[in-house]
Amino acid sequence: MTGLFWAAVRFQAQSLRRSPEYLMSLVTIPALTIAFLAIVRNSGRDDLVPYAVLGAALMTVWATALYVCGELIESERYGGTLEGLLAAPAPFSVLIIARISLVTVVSFLGLAESGLIAWLLFGVTIPVPHPGLLLLTLLCTAFAMVGTSSIMSALFVLARSARIFQNSLSYPFYLLGGLVVPVALLPGWLQPVSRVIFLSWTADLLRDCLRVESPADAVPRLAVIVGLGVLAFAAGLTMSRAILRRIRQNGSVGYA
Amino acid sequence: MNTTDSPAVEVRRLAREYSRRGKPPRRALDDVDLAIGQGEVHGLLGPNGAGKTTLCKILCTVLLPTSGTALVNGFDVVTKTDAVRRSIGIVFGGERGLYTRLSARQNLRYWSALYRQPKAVGYRRVEELLDRMGLGDRADEPVETFSRGMKQRLHLARGLIGDPRTLILDEPTVGMDPVAARDFRELVRELRSEGRTVLLTTHDMAEAEALCDRVSLIDSGRLLATESPRTIGQWLSKYERVRAERVPAEVVSHLRAVPGVGGVTAAGDVVTVETVAEGAAGAVLKVLVDGGVTTVSTVRPSLEEVYLHVIGERGLAVG
Repeated sequence: MTGLFWAAVRFQAQSLRRSPEYLMSLVTIPALTIAFLAIVRNSGRDDLVPYAVLGAALMTVWATALYVCGELIESERYGGTLEGLLAAPAPFSVLIIARISLVTVVSFLGLAESGLIAWLLFGVTIPVPHPGLLLLTLLCTAFAMVGTSSIMSALFVLARSARIFQNSLSYPFYLLGGLVVPVALLPGWLQPVSRVIFLSWTADLLRDCLRVESPADAVPRLAVIVGLGVLAFAAGLTMSRAILRRIRQNGSVGYA
Repeated sequence: MNTTDSPAVEVRRLAREYSRRGKPPRRALDDVDLAIGQGEVHGLLGPNGAGKTTLCKILCTVLLPTSGTALVNGFDVVTKTDAVRRSIGIVFGGERGLYTRLSARQNLRYWSALYRQPKAVGYRRVEELLDRMGLGDRADEPVETFSRGMKQRLHLARGLIGDPRTLILDEPTVGMDPVAARDFRELVRELRSEGRTVLLTTHDMAEAEALCDRVSLIDSGRLLATESPRTIGQWLSKYERVRAERVPAEVVSHLRAVPGVGGVTAAGDVVTVETVAEGAAGAVLKVLVDGGVTTVSTVRPSLEEVYLHVIGERGLAVG
C-alpha cells in the first residue's frame, strides 16, 4: 500500500509540473500579501503584520485545496481515465488521499512565499517564538486539509457546475475560517459555525505561535484540528465510496 | 472458487437498463447469455449502440448490471470486484483515457503501480511494453503529441500492464492506420499463443474473421448468435457487392439472371450488383468480363448490411 501511495504522490508531482496552472494561487499570493500589508501598515497597525502575512498564506492553502482537490475526480472523469482507474485493483481512496496530500504540502509553500514578500517589499520579518508548535500546527492542518479536500473531491463529482461551487466556497471559508479576521471579531451568532471549520482553529493557533507569550491550551486546540480532520476523512471516504458506487450504478462514470 | 478451470467469461441472463428522466428506461443489454473459454479470442460484433461497450464495462466492474450475473475468471463482477480487477486488462477505444500531458513512460509506470506491481517489476514491464508497442523512441514525450494510432498502442500497453489473464478490448483499432491495425492483429495472435483470453469488440467483420475463434453478434442489447469465423467469412462472400462502369444494356440483363443475384441497380454509368449467395460474386464477375466490361470492383458488405440479411433471412425473434 505504501508503494501505491508514493506512486500516486509521484504521479501528482508530475501532473503539477506539466500543469502549473493548478498552482495559480501561488502566483497570486504576492498580490494578496502586498494588499494586506499595505492596509495594516498604512493604518499604523504594525502589530497586525503577522496576521496579514498569515492570512494571505492560509487563503492560498485553501484556494489550492478548492481548485485542485475539488477537480481531482472530475478531471479523471472528464479525461476518460476514471473508468480505467475503477477497473484497476488499486483502492481509489488511497490514490485520492495521496494526491491531495502532495497538493496540500505544496500549497504550504505559500507561507514561505508570503513571508518572503513581506521581507523583500516591506522589509519586515516575522519572528516565530514557538517554531515547534507552529510546525505541529501545520502538520495537523495538513491532515485536516486532506480530509476536508477528500469531501470536496467526492462532492464535486455530483455537482454539474463544480466550478461555481469552487468559486462560491472560497470567500465564505476565508471569513468563517477566520483567516484574516479572527473568529473572535466575527458576530456572535456566526462564531459557533466557525468553530466547526478546522481552519478557524488553525488560524488562531498559528497567530498565537507568532506571539511572544505561550499559546494557551495548545494541545487541546491541536486535538480539535485533528479531530475535525478525522471526521472529515471519515465523511470523505464514505462519500467517495457511495458516490463511486452511485456512478457505477447509474452509468455515469465516463462522459463518453 | 478455482478460477483456472472456469470459463474466462460466463454471463447469464445479464441485463442493464439506463433510467431516463420522464421516459421509460432504455434497455442496453437484454438477457444476455455468453460463455468464453480460457485462451479463446472472442469477437463481439455489433453496430453502434448495440450494447458491446455496456457489456465490456460490466465485465470490467465499471458498471453494475441491473440483473443477471457475470463472472470473469470465476469471480463475480459485483461481489468480487477486486479479484476480477486483478485478473483483467481493459482497453477502451478512442483517444480518451490517457494522461495526455504526461509521457508514455510516466503513464505506464503509474498504471503499473495501480496494478499493484512492485516498482522494479513494474518498471521492467513498462520498458518491455514500450518496446513491444514500438513506442520506445518517444517514451518520454508528452502523450498529447502522439498520433491517434500511437495513443491506441499506448492504450494497449496500459491494458497489458497488469499481465492479465483476460483482456477486454473495446474497439481497439479505432483510429489505427492500416499498418498499425496489421501489427495489432499480430499482437492479438501473440496474446492467444500466450494463453490469454481476449474479448474484442469491433464493427469490422473482416477483423473479427481474421482474429477470433468465435464471434457473437449483438444488436439492440440482445445476443443474436455466436458463430465461427468460417460462418462470418461465408457471410462476407455471400453478400458481396460488385460495381462496374459502362456496362452494356444486354450485359445488365444477363446479370439479373445470374443465380444468387439479389438485385441490380444503375446510377449513371455505374451498375451495382447485390449478391445473396456464396459464389455468386464470381459468376457476376465472369459475366461482366465476358461482356467486355473492364472497370469492375467488389465491395465487402458492411456489418449493418449483413445484419439486415442475416436477421431478415433467419426471421430471428429479436423483439
